[in-house]
Amino acid sequence: MVASAAALGVRPATHATQTAGPGMTVEDLRVRFDAREVLHGISAAFARGRITALIGPTGCGKTTLLRSLNRLHDGRPGARISGRVRLGEEDVYDARTNVRELRRRIGMLFQRPNPFPQSIRENVALAARIHGLWSRAEVPERTEKVLREVGLWDAVRDRLSSAPFALSGGQQQLLCLARALAVEPEVLLLDEPTSSLDPGSMSRIEELIAALRERMTVIIVTHNLQQAARVADEVCVLLDGSLVEQAPAAAFFRGPSDERSRAYVEGRIG
Amino acid sequence: MRLRLRQRSSTGLGADDDLSRTDRVVRALLLLTALIPVLALLFLAAEMVNSAVPALVYAGGDLFTQQLFTFGNLYATAETVSHGIHAPLGAAYGALPFIVGTLLSSAIALAIAVPISVGAVLALVERVPRRFQPALSVFLELLAGIPSVAYGFWGILYFGPALAQHLYPALSRLGVVLPFMRGPVGAGEGLLTAAVILAVMIIPIIAATTRELVRTVPVLAKEGAVALGMTPYETARTVTLPFIRNGILAASVLGWARALGETMAVLMISGDLLNALPANIYSPFSTIAATIVDLLDSALTDPTGMAVHALAAIGLILLAITLATNLAGRVIIRRVTTGVLPVGRGI
Repeated sequence: MVASAAALGVRPATHATQTAGPGMTVEDLRVRFDAREVLHGISAAFARGRITALIGPTGCGKTTLLRSLNRLHDGRPGARISGRVRLGEEDVYDARTNVRELRRRIGMLFQRPNPFPQSIRENVALAARIHGLWSRAEVPERTEKVLREVGLWDAVRDRLSSAPFALSGGQQQLLCLARALAVEPEVLLLDEPTSSLDPGSMSRIEELIAALRERMTVIIVTHNLQQAARVADEVCVLLDGSLVEQAPAAAFFRGPSDERSRAYVEGRIG
Repeated sequence: MRLRLRQRSSTGLGADDDLSRTDRVVRALLLLTALIPVLALLFLAAEMVNSAVPALVYAGGDLFTQQLFTFGNLYATAETVSHGIHAPLGAAYGALPFIVGTLLSSAIALAIAVPISVGAVLALVERVPRRFQPALSVFLELLAGIPSVAYGFWGILYFGPALAQHLYPALSRLGVVLPFMRGPVGAGEGLLTAAVILAVMIIPIIAATTRELVRTVPVLAKEGAVALGMTPYETARTVTLPFIRNGILAASVLGWARALGETMAVLMISGDLLNALPANIYSPFSTIAATIVDLLDSALTDPTGMAVHALAAIGLILLAITLATNLAGRVIIRRVTTGVLPVGRGI
């Protein structure tokens, strides 16, 4: 239901309330891996309380851009990043930035489910415990709340102490979403979160994402244009490491204004 | 033609009239080389059992329960007879101190080596910049190549006395809570020194295996933890270690098997205590392997031959312990590779 409403692109920006947290902006973002520049000076704004879809052909730099936002390239040898990334007013790459806290504020969901080799309960509660958000006594209650929110509670309530690997791929991805939500992020980064899932799980996750827009800034990388049309408020098109178009989703899917993004949408590129 | 060959080969060597003479010779040689390891183990085990039998009969259960191990009076004309077997006067073959010494020293070595190996590997793989990793790995491998007699020499001349002087007095204060840590600490020849040296000797084995395991942990799994703001330490505890836990167990068993059989270094630093169990963790002791080397010379002078039988008997015990450990390791490794999914218990 929620997803189809989003597909019409009728959700106005006023839905971005005070509780939605800050948006993110990038200015002239360049990312190099050794001698190869992957992103050539990207400037874009990811408005708070809205869902922005990053689309573009394989290898265009969508995922690289996404991973720049929570400094996930930090440990990679040969990675060089220049330009500005901001979370609200704060400079993400400032030397004084607390990366630990930054990554708590910016949650992430990956291409494939990657639950921890821990019990289902620990998967949800560990990070929240480490960040000092939940006390030990709160764990059972708050674990249940988060699992209910992603609609996984009834499936796992009897096996909270067992491994998550017996769950289906869709359930595992929901568990990873619960894990991300447990630390109360302000931004949620989604890297093709449904690409390895069945259609049922996909629409379940899309519904959840659509509902999350009320509380946080959501940025989703997707190969699936239908998915972008269903969930996104805003669309960014990347081609070969450059941003060629950023537009409201409704307008974009009526007809991209940029010739190159039109070529991509019509299947003439990638 | 192919079918005929296959039928022939399933019947083994024989009248392969369409194979050339060279082919047949090569096949026979290959089969022989394939059989050598099997034959060697069977022959060794059979020979050990065969030479051990008289001592096993003579000592009976005393072998595993008694502490007195003596070849008896090799010059006396009188003999001691037990279970119908004649041995020099007063001969007794109680191997309990050697069994305990072997198991204890290797177990303490393992307790020291496993955390160090795992910690070193996590530091090496996760923290050290990639270009320095090969150089540091080489050191790990060099450590494995040092002859055990060199370890023994270093242990008895420098390392043991240094530990006894600087570390053991402090450790002995733990004796308040742990009785076996209580002094006297001795001069540095004994159980703990030997265990420390053994630990240094098995660290390369455990670390090399663990390093390969750590590299098999999926990056995506670790990134899940990193993206939640976890530190490298928390990531290791939450993701990496649970993934490789069974593998570390298997690597430890391999290291343990090595420590069980290590002879020369232990012989040099054990303090060579016979006929008594170690009184505390610093006490002199002896292992099965060290005792065999130590006593073989005098055993050969026993006119009844029983002393050699006795050494064969304790050697058989060592063989049994080592084979059992290796088999256990194999079972664990098989369990790991058939994909029993790992689950940790959180932080």
